[in-house]
Amino acid sequence: MRRVAIIGCGQSKHGRRTDVNQAELVAEAVWAAIEDANIGPEDIEAYAVGNMQGFGGICQPDLVFADYIAAGGKAMQRVATGGTVGGSTAHLGYYEVASGMYDVVLAVSWEKHTDSAEPGATTGLLHVAFANLSYMMKIGMDMRSFAIMGLAGAAAGISAYQAAFYMARSGCRIEHFDMVAAKARRNAAKNKYAHLKWPNCTPEDIAKTEMLIWPMRFGHVCPASDGASCVIYANEDAVRRLGVKEVAWVKGVAAYADEEADQGESYQGTAVVDYSDQTGAILSAKKAYERAGIKDPRKEIDMAEIYAPFPHQELMFSERLGFFDDGTAWKAVEEGVTEIDGDFPICPSGGVNTTNAIGSSGMQRVVEAALQIMGKAEDHQVPKDVRNAVAHAWGGQVQFNTVMVLGDRPKGW
Amino acid sequence: MKRVAIIGYAVSRLEWDAEKTREEAVFEVAREAMRSAGIEREDLGTAISASTDFLDGRTISNCMLIGASGAYLKDESKAEEDGMYAALYAAQRIMSGVHDVALAVSHTHSWIFNPHQVTQYMLEPWFDRQNELLNEITLAALQARLYMSRSGADEEHLAEVCVKNLRNAAKNPAAFRKMADVTVEEVLESRLYSSPLTELMIAPPCDGAAAVILASEEAAKEFCDDPVWIRGIGNACDRYLRDRDLGRLDSLRIAAERAYRMAGIEEPFRQIDVAEVTERFAHQEFMAYEALGFCREGMGKVLIEEGMTEVYGEIPVNPSGGALSGDPVCATGMIRLIEAVRQIRGETENQVEECRTALAHAQWGLCAQKNLVFILGDRL
Amino acid sequence: MGVDRYSGLPFVARFRWNVGKTMEKFYRSFAEKKILAARCEKCGYTVVPPRQICPKCYSTISEENLVELSGKGVVESLTEVAFKLDGKGGYIWLEKPELLAAIRLEGASSTIFARVEGEAKVGSEVEPVWAEKIEGKPSDLISFKVVE
Repeated sequence: MRRVAIIGCGQSKHGRRTDVNQAELVAEAVWAAIEDANIGPEDIEAYAVGNMQGFGGICQPDLVFADYIAAGGKAMQRVATGGTVGGSTAHLGYYEVASGMYDVVLAVSWEKHTDSAEPGATTGLLHVAFANLSYMMKIGMDMRSFAIMGLAGAAAGISAYQAAFYMARSGCRIEHFDMVAAKARRNAAKNKYAHLKWPNCTPEDIAKTEMLIWPMRFGHVCPASDGASCVIYANEDAVRRLGVKEVAWVKGVAAYADEEADQGESYQGTAVVDYSDQTGAILSAKKAYERAGIKDPRKEIDMAEIYAPFPHQELMFSERLGFFDDGTAWKAVEEGVTEIDGDFPICPSGGVNTTNAIGSSGMQRVVEAALQIMGKAEDHQVPKDVRNAVAHAWGGQVQFNTVMVLGDRPKGW
Repeated sequence: MKRVAIIGYAVSRLEWDAEKTREEAVFEVAREAMRSAGIEREDLGTAISASTDFLDGRTISNCMLIGASGAYLKDESKAEEDGMYAALYAAQRIMSGVHDVALAVSHTHSWIFNPHQVTQYMLEPWFDRQNELLNEITLAALQARLYMSRSGADEEHLAEVCVKNLRNAAKNPAAFRKMADVTVEEVLESRLYSSPLTELMIAPPCDGAAAVILASEEAAKEFCDDPVWIRGIGNACDRYLRDRDLGRLDSLRIAAERAYRMAGIEEPFRQIDVAEVTERFAHQEFMAYEALGFCREGMGKVLIEEGMTEVYGEIPVNPSGGALSGDPVCATGMIRLIEAVRQIRGETENQVEECRTALAHAQWGLCAQKNLVFILGDRL
Repeated sequence: MGVDRYSGLPFVARFRWNVGKTMEKFYRSFAEKKILAARCEKCGYTVVPPRQICPKCYSTISEENLVELSGKGVVESLTEVAFKLDGKGGYIWLEKPELLAAIRLEGASSTIFARVEGEAKVGSEVEPVWAEKIEGKPSDLISFKVVE
């Protein structure tokens, strides 16, 4: 199997980017990555691109700005899988190199929420609910769940259920969500690309914010950001040929698709009764570790970037990905294990909870994990030695998961 | 690089107003493709679907298709473009050695939303979307005029392409628009959309789905007696409309060159037995002839005049009827791929004799901005 | 024929796209009936509407390299359009076909697409038609017309 490494990373500044158009936003990340890898655009043979096109209102936007990112005459492939799309694009880029078809591939994903005239992220999320309505009426789907989706956005509505399920299952309390959200805001303050920064934020600060839909407070919810993230992959020979010094090796990737959450509840599905169960995440992690040659994830993996727009998801997924026992992650949070200087740092970048440009978010997890391995995370670099890191993303109706294991040396060394 | 074969496929009948949901359409072709490959769902390692949020009128268009496509608890992803790109991604996953057997499935139900309207949303929004006359059809008309003035082809040549493809389609039971006795005059007299393009020169949007099963060399030999091998792949994307040579398909030329190099093809005209191309508009078939190297620049019309691209000709193109016989947008290119497979296996209703090497082409974007070419063969 | 179907709530989303700083200058200069382009210092490619990255060689084009075009151009391709789309997927058939052209503006390397008035042919020279009241917005540039 071909060895593949990340040789360059780039991010745009995330936040409300009304100063640029969508093409310029993506170009910002792409050219930063090309510069970071210290290569020329002519070295790139193929592109992997992805975003959720309903958010920015451009159908196949990559075709509009192929010539902003030096893709004229190059191979380009596009994926779109909901919130996972950044992770899926990262996987696509990896497979493009691993297949042997190309040696150097650039993967970029992004979102531009401020182009939407309606308030932020709900535009895109509500589309899931709206477009499903006729289907629901026909199939006889439960209108109650539709009403909740309409209230908080489709994935957000399900996430509120999911948080409640998780609390019942693990015994954790809303205070633990406050802790995770406060940690995210403190970490983001150290990350120059992040959106919501709050130095010295405390759980008490978060607890003062309004309760939106139980158990979620305003201070728990991610912002709708604009941003783009990019990585450049190369195979082993190209790493040598291009003379790249700092790399992060891709040791294993895996993804498992579960059924759309509501299908289980309302019609003929395989019945995903507990949205915090996340079988897909458990399987993805196991398979990715197996492919990476990792036997004991707790010992061998040093940090993780988990896709968690809402705080309970950081706790839940850190268990599903095998870092803590089922239902115990909140105890680790109480002990400060997941802080930047903790024993197992999670989302030292601030994570999706503080910066959510949908398409960009999954890719940003890969970028941040790679930066930690290369030691280039600057102010939010974790003090411990990072040899293996995990980048995760979820998407769809809490049904898709992607996992990528990165290391400071290739598998088997 | 590991070898990849196509071991099973399925195409739905192309129709308007299909009496089934998208989920049912996808389920039918996915199940039939697995059956034709002789595999069970448990044998699948990965599944790639192809659909787009704008065409489906819903975001995350694959989120309801996991059960339908058989991707439940599989490594699933969605190519948001033509189904042949899903097949490409599936092939890459096998080539990498991570997976052995893959499903690629694509569908579009055009009745959900007019695909030509969707093409308006593909325009760059800061300037071009201020102009209400711009859409896929009018831009293709401008492209047709550029091609015609460069090559000397006229409206009748365009109509002759339609006559060839619609007559071929009459033999294809799955085709949507079939006209066994259509004439050049009828094509020219059909409703004018945007000169020189008349109704019959524009691929008719319709409902349809298609699926293929791909396998590694070892798996192909285990499951299948007559696998069809992917010998060459070429993929290229052009610049946006305003900054490319609209009268040429440069990205198709580049894609073809790459595919030929990989497959060891030096003289495409002689070495390729049949080509299935995606001609969303009649003139694009001529442009494809030239970009694929079947003839010299500007000589596309000669191939039609001499009947060389008829099913009995030297280089048959679109014996299935091509996209002009039915355009279920995301499935159109994948159907070309499947028709090429069927030609090699000798299974078609409009069979090319002694067909051993076939070319399949998919396009995507306004005026065919992106192009993908597969070379298939009956042996490695 | 067909199974029952329901249109449900509409798939409608309104967008207000940020055009970026360079495009903003482009539109604002409409107020003075000017059409700006960006000329790449490195390869000479002149792109209209202007932008910061050269579509040909991909080098950065700085603000100093914005140039004013004469506004005149040549029709490279032309089509008589018989329909419009209504935004919801329906066709509006026009009583009188409208002319749509691919135009190469004088001094530009890229092509723009615009409506043309008059007896235009491929090769015709055209000039912009400005709105009566101009405000530095996209709506200022109505179409092009054949130069008498």
